[in-house]
Amino acid sequence: MTMLSRRQMLGGTAATAGLMATGLPFPVLAASHTSVTFAITRDIQGLLAPPYRVGAIEGNIMRTVCQGLIRFKPGSFDWDLWAAKTLTQVSDTAIEFELNPGLQFHGGYGEMTADDVKFSFELFQKNRPDGKPADYAKDWAALDHVEVTGKYTGRIVLKTPSPQLWLVVLPDNSGLIISKKAWEAGCYRSDQQPIKLIGTGAYMLAEWVPNQRVVLKANPDWKGDKPGFPELVLQPVRDPKTAELALRANELQFTLIEPADAAEVQKQPDTSLLRQDSINYVWIGLNVEKPPFDNPKVRQAIRLAIDTDQVLAGAYNGTVKPAYALMAPGLLGYWADAPKPKPDPAAAKKLLAEAGHPNGFKCTLTLMSKPTYQAIGQIVQAMLADVGVQVDLQVLDAGAYYAAGQGEAGKKLDMALQRFGGKADPAFQTQWFVASQIGTWNWQRWNDPEFDEFSAKAAATNDKAERNRLYIEAQKRMEASGAYIWLTHEANIFAFRPWLRPAVLPNGDDMLYDRFTAI
Amino acid sequence: MNLSPKLRYVASRLVTTILVLLCATVLLFALTLLIPGNPAEVLLGPRATPEAVQAYSHAMGLDRPLLERLAIFLGNVLRGDLGRDIISGRPILDLVLEVFPYTLSLTLAAIGLAVLLGVPLGCYAATHPGSLADQVGAVTSVAFIAMPNFVVAVFLVLIFSVWLHWLPVLGVGRDGGWGDAALRLVLPALSLALSWVGYIARLLRASLLEVMGEPHIRTARAYGVAERRLVYRNALKLAAIPTVAILGLGVGRLLGGAIFAEIVFARPGLGTLVYDAINLRNYPVVQAAVLVVVGVFTLTNLLTDLSYLWLDPRLGRRLGQER
Repeated sequence: MTMLSRRQMLGGTAATAGLMATGLPFPVLAASHTSVTFAITRDIQGLLAPPYRVGAIEGNIMRTVCQGLIRFKPGSFDWDLWAAKTLTQVSDTAIEFELNPGLQFHGGYGEMTADDVKFSFELFQKNRPDGKPADYAKDWAALDHVEVTGKYTGRIVLKTPSPQLWLVVLPDNSGLIISKKAWEAGCYRSDQQPIKLIGTGAYMLAEWVPNQRVVLKANPDWKGDKPGFPELVLQPVRDPKTAELALRANELQFTLIEPADAAEVQKQPDTSLLRQDSINYVWIGLNVEKPPFDNPKVRQAIRLAIDTDQVLAGAYNGTVKPAYALMAPGLLGYWADAPKPKPDPAAAKKLLAEAGHPNGFKCTLTLMSKPTYQAIGQIVQAMLADVGVQVDLQVLDAGAYYAAGQGEAGKKLDMALQRFGGKADPAFQTQWFVASQIGTWNWQRWNDPEFDEFSAKAAATNDKAERNRLYIEAQKRMEASGAYIWLTHEANIFAFRPWLRPAVLPNGDDMLYDRFTAI
Repeated sequence: MNLSPKLRYVASRLVTTILVLLCATVLLFALTLLIPGNPAEVLLGPRATPEAVQAYSHAMGLDRPLLERLAIFLGNVLRGDLGRDIISGRPILDLVLEVFPYTLSLTLAAIGLAVLLGVPLGCYAATHPGSLADQVGAVTSVAFIAMPNFVVAVFLVLIFSVWLHWLPVLGVGRDGGWGDAALRLVLPALSLALSWVGYIARLLRASLLEVMGEPHIRTARAYGVAERRLVYRNALKLAAIPTVAILGLGVGRLLGGAIFAEIVFARPGLGTLVYDAINLRNYPVVQAAVLVVVGVFTLTNLLTDLSYLWLDPRLGRRLGQER
């Protein structure tokens, strides 16, 4: 069969010939290393200031444009000094810093000083301009104030010890430093168009066309290591299948793909894969306030009826490892000896009979509308049917799903398939399961004073060994509750062009765009 | 006042349109009341203090009587004030106006393609009934009508972007050139249009066959008027009426379909705006975007109704007899 060339095809009609006359830029077929296009799962939303950011999308962009005192190394939770020349914990409640001199904010907003550090960190205690509380205020909850002791020096004074600052705040998005002068001039605010994100980093926000693209250009005044590419383009692509196809068509050079598609994508020429175990956590949670799940025997039965290995094999094509507790391997507080329950449908039936449900019961599993989660739901539905429990799947889009678990609506939940993002410090993980989070993020409505106490103590001590012990104790309380059926810590699989060297943090969610390089 | 029949017809359609828009606006307002929880709590997020919720409720007028809130809402809509986006703080009208041209161009391109392909196919099938081409057209039409749009979209991308590298997949173009923008419109518009090509072709074929059997056509044929002239000058205008009616409804369907096309082809538009807003529980944006879609749909149907005055001379005569 003779294949028509594009020119022949276009030459066939007057209309498209007219298009050609305009000098169309056809899809690039040869890799151009002057620009890299990344897929992002949604467009930027809201303010581009660290305390008021919406999520990881904005965080990744801010971390590329702004600097913190320290930053993570690619692929590790160790950190390097960044804007800081020195950063020292001088007591349980005080951290002293000295900035590198000469760090210039983009757009002529001057040099970064200790005043900017003070302003950036204390901003977390202030509401947004429209009165909404800062979404990330909790990150700096331990902050009392920042003392400015010189042009480049200062002291971070804490109300209580806060070891998590070193892993989830200072090297992360909540530790980024913005320009006080730029903030006062209306930068970072999404209600001021075009939005200006002013930082001192290797890249500058050159363009944001809502719903179309974010363009970051290398900062010509940057004194550090040369950025990998003159330009980075972030393209919102909401559908993972589209992202995969766009990668194959070379319109994208880097994208996250669905685990189930990894084997197929791997067969594609000129494509590399990076698989990274994550520290997120996926689990099925049971509402301990609502019958019949208020009965521990029922919770135990549900757990015995679910074969986690089978669930993961079916839903993730075997690309992820099972989880047995809250903390992922490698984190402080990882509970290596956590029980690894074997599925036992007969024992599950016996427990249900003892709990007064010899013929099982009906209930609902609420989950978010994503292919992987729907597969989990269907497999679990079949497994529970084997022990007489009839499960209706309530599949919801993100907005409705989050509404279903919070406030008064959360009281009506039976079981929920949940996935939370993890951070490098265990305090970030445990904070959602305390009693004060009932009605917000504690959808199991589990109230355990001992867990709360372990979590609070661990979050407020700088003794690493003691923290490790306390977090393991806290996880033992979760295990005893029977409210949590852990499934996996996930893995992220990225597909990209072989000439690209990615830089991703170990949690698998956070990109270091400014440290992507060409091989 | 002594209005002509045609003017009365236009006025009655206008009144109906206004009533539909009003009902839709009230219904949308009512739907926001069904959102679980206090809207202020939803807007301010889980960290908000009770004092902040109370202050915000007061500032937003959420503590006022329901009818007063409805009146304020209607008044704001009439003034073009669709509220503010709770996440960015920007006026929602600005957000909608930024993306609406993309949705409109996609919808119009899809309808244009559907008409461009469907009308000739329908005419050919009607003038060659029972031929092999007619039968193949019938099977193909039904196949495209039955096939979900997203399946068509994926296949089109695989063929034209991944295998042949002829057409781009993502977005609306970066250089601002209309050529690039038009090229990036081809696949999404085609994925929306293909099922409509089948609809239009089959409907037009049936209508044309019916009109071609009418006495005035037979008379014209007996006088020796050329068949081509009969089809394209005399019969097509009358046969097009049901197709135009379907296209009027089709705009609404295509606006809905455009949402999927925008997601699949990563295009800006009302679809992606609503998709992100739903995921972030940004209800005011969802409400405004739906209101705009309802408005466009209603106005399209108004234009469709009014087009009958031009397409069907019998309507004018009937209106005259009703005086």
